[in-house]
Amino acid sequence: MKDCERVQESLGGWLDGELSSTDSDWVRAHLGGCGDCREAQRRLEKITLVLHGALASEGRNIEFLPFWHAVERRIAEKRPWHVELRDWARGTFSAPRIAWAVPAAIAAAIVLFSVNSYFSSWRGSGARNNFTSVDSIDAYGQNVALLREDDTKTTLIWLYQNQEGENETTEEPPQSAPAF
Amino acid sequence: MELTDWELVRKCQAGEMSAFQDLVSRYHQKVFMVILGLLRNRDDALEVAQETFFRAYRKIGGFQGGSSFYTWIYRIAVNLAIDAQRRQKRNPLDFRENMDGVLESQDEVARDPFADVHDKELRENLIKAINDLTPEHKAVIVLRTIEGLSYKDIGAILGCSEGTVMSRLHYARKKLQDKLSSFL
Amino acid sequence: MKLLKNLPSRLLLFSLLSAVAAGVLGAAEKQPQSVQVSIGTILASNQSDEFDAKLKGLESQLRVLKYRSYRLLKNESQNVPWQGNKAFEIPGGRFLTVAPQEFRDNRISLRVRLTQGQKPLLDTTVRIPNRGNFLLGGPPHEGGALVLSISAATQ
Repeated sequence: MKDCERVQESLGGWLDGELSSTDSDWVRAHLGGCGDCREAQRRLEKITLVLHGALASEGRNIEFLPFWHAVERRIAEKRPWHVELRDWARGTFSAPRIAWAVPAAIAAAIVLFSVNSYFSSWRGSGARNNFTSVDSIDAYGQNVALLREDDTKTTLIWLYQNQEGENETTEEPPQSAPAF
Repeated sequence: MELTDWELVRKCQAGEMSAFQDLVSRYHQKVFMVILGLLRNRDDALEVAQETFFRAYRKIGGFQGGSSFYTWIYRIAVNLAIDAQRRQKRNPLDFRENMDGVLESQDEVARDPFADVHDKELRENLIKAINDLTPEHKAVIVLRTIEGLSYKDIGAILGCSEGTVMSRLHYARKKLQDKLSSFL
Repeated sequence: MKLLKNLPSRLLLFSLLSAVAAGVLGAAEKQPQSVQVSIGTILASNQSDEFDAKLKGLESQLRVLKYRSYRLLKNESQNVPWQGNKAFEIPGGRFLTVAPQEFRDNRISLRVRLTQGQKPLLDTTVRIPNRGNFLLGGPPHEGGALVLSISAATQ
């Protein structure tokens, strides 16, 4: 039974002459002794014959000269640019042909975007300049200091705020004033 | 002595329209048969076949002979037919003559030496079954049936491997046999 | 090769699709939906030599201040919409209000206001690198000073 399955799977290839000589001999030998597989062969050949007959008869109905004149007319006429563009787009953007392009384009876009993000972050705030920059400060009359430290890329805004209850500065610096 | 396809192509590329006419003469029936097998409608098939040769004329300057001419022309034909079929599916049916009606015609069929077409029902159901196949499966069946092209040539036309051609043919034939089992 | 046979059309199609996809992604990059703002509230003082292990990531920045002790009091994160604002409670009856303004060149423009009760102490507008931070310090607290590490990241 298993042989019959394999033979019937190979019947098409055998009838088409596409099997290797070894496989072909094996199929032929099996068909010689198996009625079921010979019946499968008959059905396959009949389908092929009927379809060929139907299509071939129609093909013979096509007269050459009217066909050729129609082709000549197409060659002679100038098509509007939008028709040319539509035909080009239909041919280029049809599903099987863009199947490869879509994932490739997505992959390329992701790579481009990642590279761009990497370089822009590097450019914007990487090795050369990743400081926080201060556009404006308003301390409402209190003293404020702005420190930028290169080695650690630190931006510090320090508000010199009086301790609660104190209205005048003292000689000693308040606890809140850092040494930097 | 008859010129080869390639010699005719070279003459076309040099501007000889008569050479292109010879090529059309050689292949117009076969191209039409392939397209008719893919589209149900005779008028549509005729139009697509004419468009195939028009496109071939436009592109023949770029044909380098990397494949055979017939592989190249069939590729154009099949692609146009598949595109037309997809457009057909989106558009409402019209009432032009379709292939069912064509196959009703008995005269040609009776004289056809190949056609074992005594069974009208088998023909009608075969065409319906073919039309239920996907465009890719239909293409392999039609190319193999009409032209007896090798799997390699069919693969070159459809842009797929021989293995894919074999598996599509197997699938298509199995589908047809399943649907037509009572008629065979 | 089959691929080379239609190379001009395929290249054009590939370029078009890449440009469209990159444009979409680029546009998406320019319009992040919100900003996650994190505020670390740190007590800096000279009352001990303790360095809170939780502040390891900020050690090099905090050492600029020359205090001997640093302790993390709290860490809070909130998502803040663009042009919106959120207030973070700071010890000592203070609030830090943060308002993201725009995102450009991978930097987040932030308006920051420190208040004590209703009284504004400091207004500043800074541009922080995305996922970067800056320090705002000075308000006295428990014998030392508060240091706020303010960081922002687009969402």
